[in-house]
Amino acid sequence: MQIDRLVEGNTVVTVVKGRLDSSSSPRLDEMLAVIPDGSTAVLLDFEELTYISSAGLRVVLKAAKLARSSSVALAVCSLTPQVHEVFEVSGFSSLIPIHQSRETALASFT
Amino acid sequence: MTLREMDVRLPNDLSQMPALVARLDSFAEAADLSPKATHRLQLAVDEFVNNAVDYGYPDGRPGEIGVQVRCADDSVELTLSDDGDPFDPFTAPSPDLDGTLDERRIGGLGVHLIRTLARSFAYRRENGRNVVTLSLARDAA
Repeated sequence: MQIDRLVEGNTVVTVVKGRLDSSSSPRLDEMLAVIPDGSTAVLLDFEELTYISSAGLRVVLKAAKLARSSSVALAVCSLTPQVHEVFEVSGFSSLIPIHQSRETALASFT
Repeated sequence: MTLREMDVRLPNDLSQMPALVARLDSFAEAADLSPKATHRLQLAVDEFVNNAVDYGYPDGRPGEIGVQVRCADDSVELTLSDDGDPFDPFTAPSPDLDGTLDERRIGGLGVHLIRTLARSFAYRRENGRNVVTLSLARDAA
């Protein structure tokens, strides 16, 4: 798994590539535990996320809870069909906004 | 020639997971499984092996986990077994999926995912082993 972080305006974009499973999820968890000062939104870009398990979902849910308690918006974007299926089945799609692309996600924050 | 079956035995730790993931990917490719069917297969094996390793051997004894995959015409048949303590994963309560973000509990989703994504599932205790059989749709679009 590879994690890249970049800033677009007031949004922190975290790009996760590869497999998000029980062995890799602690690294993402650690990175998402801190929302940089001045950020008003957090976007998880999963365009190149090939796999997610319940361990990965756990980290995403935790980040969504942190964002909410910090009054920061959180969304995910660019899910592959197989990752999208897991989001649907876990009920996350009704809790966390899912956008087709990074552009639409960023536009939704403004 | 299409690889139609694989049968792997693992120690009850996660050291062999990367090798298992790679083997499952090769198997799925050889069997021409769709990305969704491949993801479901990887997920079922991953969740099951993690659960068995995390909860099946509380005394820390060494154990053996078996992963058997067979491709049928329209399904992928999975048999997962372990010699851990008796445990039927399908008796676990379903997570509450309707709660708000604040209400949702963190965790407890693994078995729910497997149960929902499989066409059928069953558990039996046999010769001192937990045996879970799952049938996954082969042509999941």
